[in-house]
Amino acid sequence: MVDDLRTERKGKLLEVKDLPTLPKVLDEVAKLVEKADVTMDQVADLISTDQVLTAKVLKMVNSPIYGFPGRISSISHALMLLGFNVLRGIIVSTSVFEVMTENMVGLWEHSLGCALATSAVAKHLDLPDPEEYSVAGLLHDIGKVVATVQLPDLKKDIENLVKERDVYYLDAEKELLGFGHDRINVWLADHWKLPPNIKEALGYHHKPQLARLYPDMAHAVHLGDFLVRAFEYGSGGDDNVTYLRPETLKHFKLKPADMEKILDHLSGQFVEIADLDFS
Amino acid sequence: MPLYDEIPFPRPQRVMCVTPDDALAGLLRDLWPAGQIELLRFAKGRAAIDNLFNDPPDLLLVDSALADMPGLELVALVKSENVYRQLPVIYAVGPGELDGGAAWAEAEIDELIVRPISPSEIRARILLTLARASRSLDSNPLSKLPGNTSIIHRIQELIDRKEDFALAYCDLDHFKSFNDRYGFSRGDEALMMAARVIVNTIRTVGGAQAFVGHVGGDDFVFILPASLVEEACKRVVAAFDSIVPNFYDPADRKRGYIQSTDREGNMRTFPLMAVSIAVVFNTGGRLKHYGEASQIAMTLKKKAKENPKSCYVLDRRQNAAPAPGA
Repeated sequence: MVDDLRTERKGKLLEVKDLPTLPKVLDEVAKLVEKADVTMDQVADLISTDQVLTAKVLKMVNSPIYGFPGRISSISHALMLLGFNVLRGIIVSTSVFEVMTENMVGLWEHSLGCALATSAVAKHLDLPDPEEYSVAGLLHDIGKVVATVQLPDLKKDIENLVKERDVYYLDAEKELLGFGHDRINVWLADHWKLPPNIKEALGYHHKPQLARLYPDMAHAVHLGDFLVRAFEYGSGGDDNVTYLRPETLKHFKLKPADMEKILDHLSGQFVEIADLDFS
Repeated sequence: MPLYDEIPFPRPQRVMCVTPDDALAGLLRDLWPAGQIELLRFAKGRAAIDNLFNDPPDLLLVDSALADMPGLELVALVKSENVYRQLPVIYAVGPGELDGGAAWAEAEIDELIVRPISPSEIRARILLTLARASRSLDSNPLSKLPGNTSIIHRIQELIDRKEDFALAYCDLDHFKSFNDRYGFSRGDEALMMAARVIVNTIRTVGGAQAFVGHVGGDDFVFILPASLVEEACKRVVAAFDSIVPNFYDPADRKRGYIQSTDREGNMRTFPLMAVSIAVVFNTGGRLKHYGEASQIAMTLKKKAKENPKSCYVLDRRQNAAPAPGA
C-alpha cells in the first residue's frame, strides 16, 4: 500500500509537462534574445539566475534527440549546442505561475543564492569548472518546484506542518509524502538525463557524506545551501538555518579562516544581487 | 494558365513507369512539357528490370496489376539491393485494392496513388516524391546534415556563379583514438556535438548565407562569405575546446589525455580531441572546379594537423585571404 502510493506520487511528479517559472526573468530573457547584438554569454548569465529555465535548457540539451545525453552540465555549453532558434522555442513555450506566492519568490531567491554560494565555495577551493557547481546549487531544490506544481495540496500540508511543529522542511516532506525533495531530484535527474555530477549533488545535498562518485559537488552544494541561509537571502521553506555537516568541513579541510574568506566574498555578491527582484 | 510550371530540379528527371494501363501512361506523358521530365514507359515488369538495373531512373512508378509479375515483387527486387534502394518508388493501385490488407506497407514503397486520380494530384505526388528523395538521399544518417552530393553541388554552383566565398574543411584530431578507447556510440556522441557546435556557430556568424555539410565520419564542411570566416573559425575552436572534455570519463578528463593503441598496435597516450580547420578562398573567380578547392584544402589540412591543438589555417596564396582584422 505504502509502495503503491510512492509509485503513484513518483509517476505524478515525473509527468510534469509544463514547468512554470516566475515572470520577471522570463520576460527579460525573451527581450534579450530578440536584440540584434546579443551574445550567448549574456543570455547564459541571465538564464543562470532562474532554476526552471536552467532545468529546461539542460533537459533539452541532454535529451537523446541531440545525441549526447548526460554530457552537458553548464548553461553556456548548452546554449552553444542548442542555438538561438531552440532557445527561443524554450522561452515561448515556458509559462508562468498563475498565482505567485511569497513562498515561490523566496524559493527562487534561495536557489539563486545557493548557486552563488556553491560557486564561491568551488572557486575558493580551486575546484575545476565552477560553472557546473553554480548549476548544481541553482537546481538543488528543483524537486520542491515540481512538487508544488504536481502535488499542490500536499505542498500546502508540508508548509503547515513546518509552521505548526517547527520541523525541518525535509522531515515534513518525508512524513507527508513518504520521501524528500532530494529523492524527487534524483528521479527528475534520471528522467531528464542530467549529467551524473549534477544528479549526485541534487540527490545528496542533505547527506553529502554518502556521495560516492562526485563528493566535491555534493559537499559544495551542502555548504552553499547552509551559507545562503546564514545570509538570510530567500527561503527554501525553512525558517531556521539548517544543519551543517562536520563531514563537509573535513572533506574540504576548511578552517575558520577559509570560511571567513568565502563569507567576505559572498557578502559582496549578495549586495550585487540585492536589487535583483523576482517578484 | 498552364497546368504545369517549371520543375524545381537542376536537370530533367527520369521517371520510369511500369504499367499495362495506357490511360495512366498517357496521363503521365501529358503532365509536363517535353524536356522537363523524361518518361520511360514499360507495360510489363520483366522488360523493365534490365533497364532499371543498368540505368536507374530518378523515380519508379509501379502498377500493382502487371501481367507478368506482382507489382510488389518488382518493388521488392529494387529495394532489396543496397545500390538501388534509394530509388523512390510510387505504387499505383486500383479502387478498393487497399481494403485487401496492407502488404504494400511491407514493401519499401515511398508513395501511394489510388485510382481514380486527378492529373494535378499525380503531378503533385511525383514532385513531392522526387523532392523528398533528393533530400533524404544525401543527408548524413547521424547528423542529418547535407552530405557529399549536396556539398559538391553547392560549391560547384558558387564557383559557376563566380561568387566569392570561403570554404572551410573541419575535422577532429585524435577522433580515432577516442573511438578506440570508448567505442562507436561514444564516438557518435562527439560527432553530434561537433556538428551542433559548427551549425550554431556558422548560423550565428553567417546567418542565412551560411552552409554546413557533413562529408562523413569526423569531416565537416562549411561555407561563408570570406570576411566572416576567420571569426567563425575562432568561435568553433573555442566552443569545441571548452565542451569536448565533457565527453571523456572523469579520470581521463582530469589527466588530460587517454591511453589507446595506435595504428601499429602500440599502447600510446593521446591528447583530448581537437578541431582542425583549413580554409580555401574563392576570390575573383580563382577556382574553376570543385576538385581544386578540395585539393588545396587537403594540403592546408596537413599544415593544420601539425598543430596538436585546435587551430585553423587560412589559404594565404594569391592574397586570397583577407588580412587578419581587415
